[in-house]
Amino acid sequence: MSSSEVRREHVGRSVGRVDGAAKVTGRALYVDDLPARPGELHGAAVRSPVARGLLRSIELDPAFDWSDVTVVRAEDVPDNVVALLVDDQPVLARTRVNHAYEPVVLLACADRGKLERAVAAVRLELEPEPAVLELEAALAAETVISGPDNVQSRYLITKGAADVEAEDRVAASRAAIERALAGCEVVVSGRYSCHHQEHLYLEPNGMVAWWDADGLHATGSIQCPYYVQKGLCRGLRLPAERVHVTQAVTGGGFGGKEEYPTMLALHAALLAQKSGRPVRMVYGRREDIEATTKRHPAVCEVTTGCDRDGTLRVLSLRALYDAGAYVTLTPVVLSRGVLHAGGVYAWRDARIEGLSLATNTPPSGAFRGFGAPQTLWAIERHVDRVARELGRDPAELKRQNLLRVGDSTPTGQVLRGSVGLAECVTAALEASGYRDKRAAPPRVVGRKARGIGCSVVLHGAGFTGSGERRLQGKVAVDLRPGGRLCIRTASTDIGQGTETVFAQIVADAAGVGLADVDFATPCTTHVPDSGPTVASRTVMVVGSIVERAAQKVAARVRAEQAAAGGSFAAAGDRLLAREGAVSALEQYEPPGWVAWDDARYKGDAYPAFAFACDVAEVEVDLDTFEVRVVGFWCAADVGRAVNPVMCKGQLEGGALQAIGWALTEEVVWRDGRILNPRLTNYIVPTALDAPPFETFLVEAPFEHGPGGGAKGIGELPMDGGAPAVAAAIEHATGLVLDGLPLTPERLLAASLARGEVKP
Amino acid sequence: MKIELTVNGVARTLELPPLLRLLDVLRGPLGLTGTKEGCGEGECGTCAVLLDGEPVNACLVPIGQCDGRAVVTVEGLAVDGAPGALGRAMAEHGGAQCGICTPGMMISAEALLVARPAPSAGEVRHALGGTLCRCTGYERIVDSVLRAAAERRGAGEVGP
Amino acid sequence: MSVADLARYELAVPRALPEACQLLAARVASGEPTLLCAGGTDLLVELGMAPPLGAGARPPLCVDLSRLPELGGVERVDRDGPRIRIGAGVSYLALGRHALVEGALPLLARMSHDIGGPTIQARGTLGGNLATGSPAADGVAALAAHDATVVLTSVRGERRVPFAGFQTGYKRSVRQADEIITAFELEPLAPGSPWCWRKVGARQAQAISKVAFAAVAELEGGRARRFGAAMASMAPVTATLPATRALVLGTPLAGLDGEALDRAVAADTSPIDDIRSTRAYRAHAARALARGFLRELGAAV
Repeated sequence: MSSSEVRREHVGRSVGRVDGAAKVTGRALYVDDLPARPGELHGAAVRSPVARGLLRSIELDPAFDWSDVTVVRAEDVPDNVVALLVDDQPVLARTRVNHAYEPVVLLACADRGKLERAVAAVRLELEPEPAVLELEAALAAETVISGPDNVQSRYLITKGAADVEAEDRVAASRAAIERALAGCEVVVSGRYSCHHQEHLYLEPNGMVAWWDADGLHATGSIQCPYYVQKGLCRGLRLPAERVHVTQAVTGGGFGGKEEYPTMLALHAALLAQKSGRPVRMVYGRREDIEATTKRHPAVCEVTTGCDRDGTLRVLSLRALYDAGAYVTLTPVVLSRGVLHAGGVYAWRDARIEGLSLATNTPPSGAFRGFGAPQTLWAIERHVDRVARELGRDPAELKRQNLLRVGDSTPTGQVLRGSVGLAECVTAALEASGYRDKRAAPPRVVGRKARGIGCSVVLHGAGFTGSGERRLQGKVAVDLRPGGRLCIRTASTDIGQGTETVFAQIVADAAGVGLADVDFATPCTTHVPDSGPTVASRTVMVVGSIVERAAQKVAARVRAEQAAAGGSFAAAGDRLLAREGAVSALEQYEPPGWVAWDDARYKGDAYPAFAFACDVAEVEVDLDTFEVRVVGFWCAADVGRAVNPVMCKGQLEGGALQAIGWALTEEVVWRDGRILNPRLTNYIVPTALDAPPFETFLVEAPFEHGPGGGAKGIGELPMDGGAPAVAAAIEHATGLVLDGLPLTPERLLAASLARGEVKP
Repeated sequence: MKIELTVNGVARTLELPPLLRLLDVLRGPLGLTGTKEGCGEGECGTCAVLLDGEPVNACLVPIGQCDGRAVVTVEGLAVDGAPGALGRAMAEHGGAQCGICTPGMMISAEALLVARPAPSAGEVRHALGGTLCRCTGYERIVDSVLRAAAERRGAGEVGP
Repeated sequence: MSVADLARYELAVPRALPEACQLLAARVASGEPTLLCAGGTDLLVELGMAPPLGAGARPPLCVDLSRLPELGGVERVDRDGPRIRIGAGVSYLALGRHALVEGALPLLARMSHDIGGPTIQARGTLGGNLATGSPAADGVAALAAHDATVVLTSVRGERRVPFAGFQTGYKRSVRQADEIITAFELEPLAPGSPWCWRKVGARQAQAISKVAFAAVAELEGGRARRFGAAMASMAPVTATLPATRALVLGTPLAGLDGEALDRAVAADTSPIDDIRSTRAYRAHAARALARGFLRELGAAV
C-alpha cells in the first residue's frame, strides 16, 4: 500500500500528548520517583580532582567505619571498558586519570549522609602530569596524550577540482583546492570558533540497578536502552539475555543520555553486584554538569572563492574538534560535522577536512546537532563575511546560492527531491519583515539598537551513509485483545513526543483510533532493538517501520474481517484466539538508491535532509552590550508534520538552546575543572529571555518518510540559531564576532578593539 | 519537631527533623513525587509548590517553617486525579514535553491565574520567570497558560 | 553537598522578638554557634553546598525568624522627619506590591521584581539580603541608595546604624552576634522625583547582578538637593559611591563633566574578575549607568 492511499485522520493533527495526563498530574514516574527497592543502597563515585595524573594509590581512611559501605575499585570490574567505538575508556580509572572528575572508586551505603562522609574519607594519591586542555595546545602537540600527535580521528571530503587521486590525498587535494581558489574572482577567509555546551536536561542522570535470578536489571533515565545493555554485557561479561535495561520516564536528553548512561549503569550495577543489594545513583546537578558529556568545542578555518556576482564556487574548510579525554562517539560527531560543513550551498569544488583532537577534559559527546552546529556556525558566519566583502545583503547572497533538486552536496550526493529550502527562506524573511528592517540603517531608540539577521541550514536525518543499513533497526506491533495495537520499540520518548507521534502513525496505518494504540515500556527484554534514539531518526526511520508493521498487522485483521465479518476488534480477537499471538516485526530498509562509500566519504550521506531558515531580531544595549532576542522566526521544511504543535515545540525548544549557546551558556574552565557547575552560573534562558517564536512548517514530503513524507527534525533547530543571532548583532552594532559565546563582555572587548568605547 | 500542616487540603501531622527540605518531605514520607528536584538551590523552579497560596521553591523551605501552613503540590492541582483546565492545556497544546519543569510551571501559573484570571502573555512570562524549561522554548507553555486562563474564565473553574 | 546533614540540625522557633533576642544572647554567652533563618533562600543553598559534617559533629542551632511579628509590616513613622519603616522580614513579593512602597520608594518596589524570580521573591527578605552580606545583593544596593537606617535589636536594646556605617568588609558588618536586623527606615522620595534601578545580569530573571545601579535624586534649581546612589557587585561591599555623590551634589547639573563623573565612579569602586563578569566590563557598565542617570537629571554627560 503506498502512503498516498492511507486515510489520514491522525497524522497532521496536533493531538495532545498521550503521556500528558500522567505528566501534568505528577503521576509519571521518573527514575528518582521509583519506590526504593527492599534493602536499596545509594551509590556515589569518587572522582579525580586533577586533569591528568598517575594514580599511585587509593587509601580508605582507617579511622572511618567502612563496615556498612561497599567499595568498588577498578580491579573489581570484570572487563574495565565502557563499550562504545574504541576500548579506551575505563569504567574506573586504574593506573592514571585522563580528565578531572574521572571516576576512580565507587561507594554505596544505605545512609546518604554517611555515604557523603565516606566519599570524603577516600584519599586518592595522584601524581599530576602536564595536561592538554585546549584545542590549540592539542594541535601543537608539545604534550602528547594520545597517539603520535593527539589527533584522534580524521576525515577528508573532496569534490570537483579537489577530488584528486593521489597517494597523499590530504596534500594533493589541498594543493588542488588552493589552485581552484586562486582562479576565483573573490576569495574570502575566516576563522570561527565555538565552545562547550552543557545539555542541562532538567532531570539529571539517574539509574537503579539490582540483580536477581534473571540476571542484572537497570532502570534509568536513558535514550538508548540497547546501548546500555551492550555496555553492561561487556563490562560485566554477561550474555545479553541476562541483562534487562528499562527506560524510566525520562526528563530530557538532547544527546546527554545517549552514551553517558552506560557509564552510570555500569557503576550502579557493579555496586549492586558487590553489595548484593539494589543500588540507586541519581546525580545532583553539580555532578551531572561536571562528570557528563558536553558539546564539542570546535575551530573552523574557512576559505571560499566566488564570482563577483556572488555565485559561490569553491569551499575549503578545516574543522578541529575537541574530543576530550576519550574517544566515546567523537569520530561520528566529527563525521556529521564535516558532512554538514558545506551548508545549504551548491559548491562546485570543495575540500573539507576534519580532525578531532584529544584533550584532558571530560569526554565531549553527543548533543543535539551532533557536530553539525559547529560547522554550520562557521559556514553561515563565513557567508555573512563574503556578503560583507561583496557589499551584498547576506540573506540575498544565501538565497542566490541555495541547493536545489539536482544539485550535489560536497560528498557528491545528488538531491533527488524533498528540498523545500527556497520556500523556507521566503517564508521566514517575509514573516519577519527582514527586507524592510535591513533596508534602513538599524533602528536606534535611546541607547538601544535593533538588528536582524538570518541563517539557512540543513540537517541530515538518520544515521550517516550505510549506518542505517548496518543498524537494521526493528520494531514490532502486536495485536492485543479488543482490537488494540501495541508498539514495541526501543525508540524512547524523552520528552520529544515519540509515544504520541508513533501512536498517530499507527492509528492511521491501521485505521484504528488513537486510544486503541499502546506503547510498551522500552525494555530490552520486551522490545526489539530499533537502534538508538538519536540522529533525528526516530520519526523518519523508526516511524517508517512502525507504519509498515502496523499496516501488516491491520491487514491481517482486515482480511479476517473480510472473511468472517464483525468489527476490527472482534476479528482481531478471533485471530488471537486462533493463533495465540499476532504480531509484525519489521526491519528498516533504506531506500534502494542510497549508496555510500565509507572509505572515500562519497555518496548519499543521508536519505533526506530537513532544512530551515532562521531569522533573529535583537536589541542591543549600547551602554552595557546586553543582547535581547526580541523576535525569532523559523521556517522549517519538515517533510510532513505528523503533529504540528509538537513539531513546532521541537523547533522552538531547539532554537532556544541555540540562542542560549550563542549568548549566555559558557562552561568556564580552570586547570581542566569547571568553575560554574551550577544553574546559578551556567546561564540558560528563562521565559523572560526567550523571544516570542513564530514558526512555520514547510512540507516538501520525503517519499520514504512515514505519515506521507515526514523527515527527522530533532536536531535541525540547534543549527541555525547562533549564526542568525550573530548576524543580527552585527547588523545592530557593526560588531563582527566569529567566536561564541557572544557575551556582553566579548561585545565590549570587540567594541574596545574598534576604538568605539574607551577602556 | 512536630509539624502540623495541610498538604493538598489534607491535614497532616509529622514528626521530623525541622531543617529537612519541604521537597524531601513531600517526595519521601508524603509520597508526592510529582514535585521534582532540578538543582537543589532555588534556580530551576521545578520544585515549586504553593505555600499559603504563594509559589515557593520547596528545596529552600525547611519543613519546620511549614508548621500551621498550607502546601499545594502539582498533585493537588488535579481534580479527582484528572488534569484540570491548566493541566489539560499543558498536555494538549505543547506546554509539557519532558515533564520535569511541568509541575513547577503549573504551580507558578496557578498562582498567577488565581491572582489575575486574564493575564497578558508578558505577565505569564514574568510569573514563569523562576522556572527553567529546556525543552519548549517557552512559547507553548505561555500559550497553554493563556488557553487555560480563557477556559477557566469561561467555565468558571476555580483553583484549589 | 550535604543535604543529608539537614536532618541533624535543630530549629528554634521563637514567637516574639524578645524571646528571640534572649535565645541569641544565651547562645552567644555559651559560645555555641547559631544560624539565623528568615526566608531560607541563602541559608539552605549554603548548607546544601557545605562539606559533610563529621560523624559526631554537632551542627549549629538554627533560629527561625519568620514567626516574629516585629519583623513584619511597612508603615510611615516620624523620626527626624517622615520615614518609611520596613520590617526586615517582609518578603520581596510583599514589598513589590505594597502601595506605600510603590508610592514613596518606587526604586525599592522596582528592585523587588528583579530579585531572582517569583518563587524567590515570595521567600527572600531585605533583612536576609543584608545579613548574608553579599556585595552582589540588589536589595542592599537599594537600601544604600536611600541611606537607609538599619535597626538592630538585642537584649541590650535597639540601636540604629546609618547604612554607610553598617558594612565593614566582605561579608562583615557592625552587627553583633546577638543582634537581629529588625527593620529599615528610609526617607520617602519626593513625589515625581527621578530614580533609577538598573540591574545588569546574565539573564532577565534568576540572575545575580554583574553590576546593579540604584539611585534617587530630588532636584531644585538645576541642582540635586538630594542624591543617593549605590552599586552592587562593584566592591567587596555594596558601593555607596561617596565621591560620585559629592560631585553630583556639589555641581550644578548643567556643569557636570562626564569625565569627572567617570573618575568619581572609578574612585568609588574596585571591580574584580569573577565567574559572572570581568573587571573591565563592570567598570565600563558602571560608568555608562551613572552617566545614563545623570543625563536623565539634565546633565550633558
